[in-house]
Amino acid sequence: MARESHPPGRNPAPDPDTPVRRAISAEPGSVAASSRLSFSIRTPASQGRNLTLNRSVQGLSASGRKAGAGAASATPHARAAFRTIDSRRAAISTPHLANRRRSVREARETPRDVLRNLGKALAKTSEAIKSSSSSPKSPKPADDTILEERPSQFLDDDDDEDLPKRPRLSLPIDVDEDDDDELRPHRSAGLEDEDLTMRSVEMPRRAYSEQPARLSTGSVRISDYYGRGGEAPDDEDGIDPGFFPPRAPIPEEDFGFDDDGPSYDRSGFDMARRDTLGRASDFGLEVPLDMANESTVMLAPQLEDSPMRPPPEDFAPMFDQRSDDDDDDGDNNADMEGFPDPVSEPEEDNEVETVAEARTPVTATVTAKSAITKRGSSTKETIKRTKRISRHSIEYPSLPAGVVKRLAQTFAKTSGAKGKINPETLKAIIQASDWFFEQIGEDLEAYAKHAHRKTIDESDMLTLMKRQRQTSSHMTPFALAQRHLPRELLQELRMTPPVAPKKRRRASVGEDPEVT
Amino acid sequence: MAPGQKLYPRATVKKIVKAHSGCNVSKNVDVMIFLDYVLFMQTLMKEATIEAKQGGERGVTARSVRKVTGDTLAKFKG
Repeated sequence: MARESHPPGRNPAPDPDTPVRRAISAEPGSVAASSRLSFSIRTPASQGRNLTLNRSVQGLSASGRKAGAGAASATPHARAAFRTIDSRRAAISTPHLANRRRSVREARETPRDVLRNLGKALAKTSEAIKSSSSSPKSPKPADDTILEERPSQFLDDDDDEDLPKRPRLSLPIDVDEDDDDELRPHRSAGLEDEDLTMRSVEMPRRAYSEQPARLSTGSVRISDYYGRGGEAPDDEDGIDPGFFPPRAPIPEEDFGFDDDGPSYDRSGFDMARRDTLGRASDFGLEVPLDMANESTVMLAPQLEDSPMRPPPEDFAPMFDQRSDDDDDDGDNNADMEGFPDPVSEPEEDNEVETVAEARTPVTATVTAKSAITKRGSSTKETIKRTKRISRHSIEYPSLPAGVVKRLAQTFAKTSGAKGKINPETLKAIIQASDWFFEQIGEDLEAYAKHAHRKTIDESDMLTLMKRQRQTSSHMTPFALAQRHLPRELLQELRMTPPVAPKKRRRASVGEDPEVT
Repeated sequence: MAPGQKLYPRATVKKIVKAHSGCNVSKNVDVMIFLDYVLFMQTLMKEATIEAKQGGERGVTARSVRKVTGDTLAKFKG
């Protein structure tokens, strides 16, 4: 049986036994055998078509083999066909593992063998190339046959391939040089003529605004910000929308804390929003501006706070909120009572005052960034004001720093940050969460108003979360809640039985395209 | 969320939203709002951590937080 797996070129000897056996077992190869016969027409053994027909009737494999093997001049296609048939037959008839493997390997390695043979052929003529280490290893007799079979086209092809490579190596260098030469004059010409448009104020801004557009609706939202930035000061307390100039006198006024209540939020709000927009600087100065912005915010506390204990300034509002709890709760007494704030307030309040007082000289000293520093100082001083006023002229507290810090720390840890959150960072986070609540409040208001309601409903919140892409078809709000909320709150959500089914329906239906 | 700790000041959250929206807030919405806030914080801290790492800072800093605040807020714009 092992004999049969050999390539026919090697094994010209006919087997007298095989025809009998094959005739029974070689049904799968019958089609190929007939094709083989058609190939073997050329061979001297089969000189007539009648003969081939007879053979096909008699014994497929034996006749085919004889014909193919006897013909040394058979076409390469025919030989390949023989080989595959032989291997197939071997695989069928002989359960020998080694045989089977070998046959498969032959079939698989033919392209590589071609290369090997080519290497051999080249090695005879030119001995310089020894890089092809595999060329000496040709364990199989099949290699030789293939070598014989494969015509010298491949050699030619390789030669052809070698030639273009060299020019490639040399070409790119020349091309680059050429390009540079060409480009330089172009650029200068462009500068002289029309480059003003290229460097106009508009371009970088657009680019920047598109940059954070990983949010799919980024542009719309940024436009929202623009709208907001304009609106907010107006709505609040009559601070001019162009708030930079009027901001200057504020530090003097600050000490009477009645008027400027929201100015802290507003100024900070607008500044940061501006940063998030296409920044005022259009020449790619984003980072410096940001730095400046930070430094102004950070400068004062660093300078002044260092002697004392660095207090998180935003504790002050928390203090206020505590005092509020009794006043504003009117509607929701049942839920709300019994959440006193754990932090000790009075000391911090004092500190904040001292800090605020000590900060005024800083504004005097710093001249270059006077506007910004003044704003910063004003923000610091307004912190001590107990309450912020929303645009509906309702006072509101900010979330207690303890809660924010705990949350932030948890998430910072899960996202891989090391170390603790220092007061500066906490302040920034608290600021961000203030903005977040403001934004959420406005959105929810829009939804509720659109539905002609005066209360913010769960449907509004579900709509909001859907629009935030927090919930989707595969992420229900309840699953989110399960993941992120403690069990008690989850129970609160679960308490109202209709909520869970409602959620999904509303979330799917209740989207308002008009409200953004 | 660490178990056994105080949850969050529901009254405060409700008050904040109420002040910003000028609407009343129905009963269990504040839980949802807080859930949203938690998600916001998660995103914010994640972004800030990435930003801090890219900036070669150690841990999350105020700078990184401020830098990502805008984007994260925009992401949570309804």
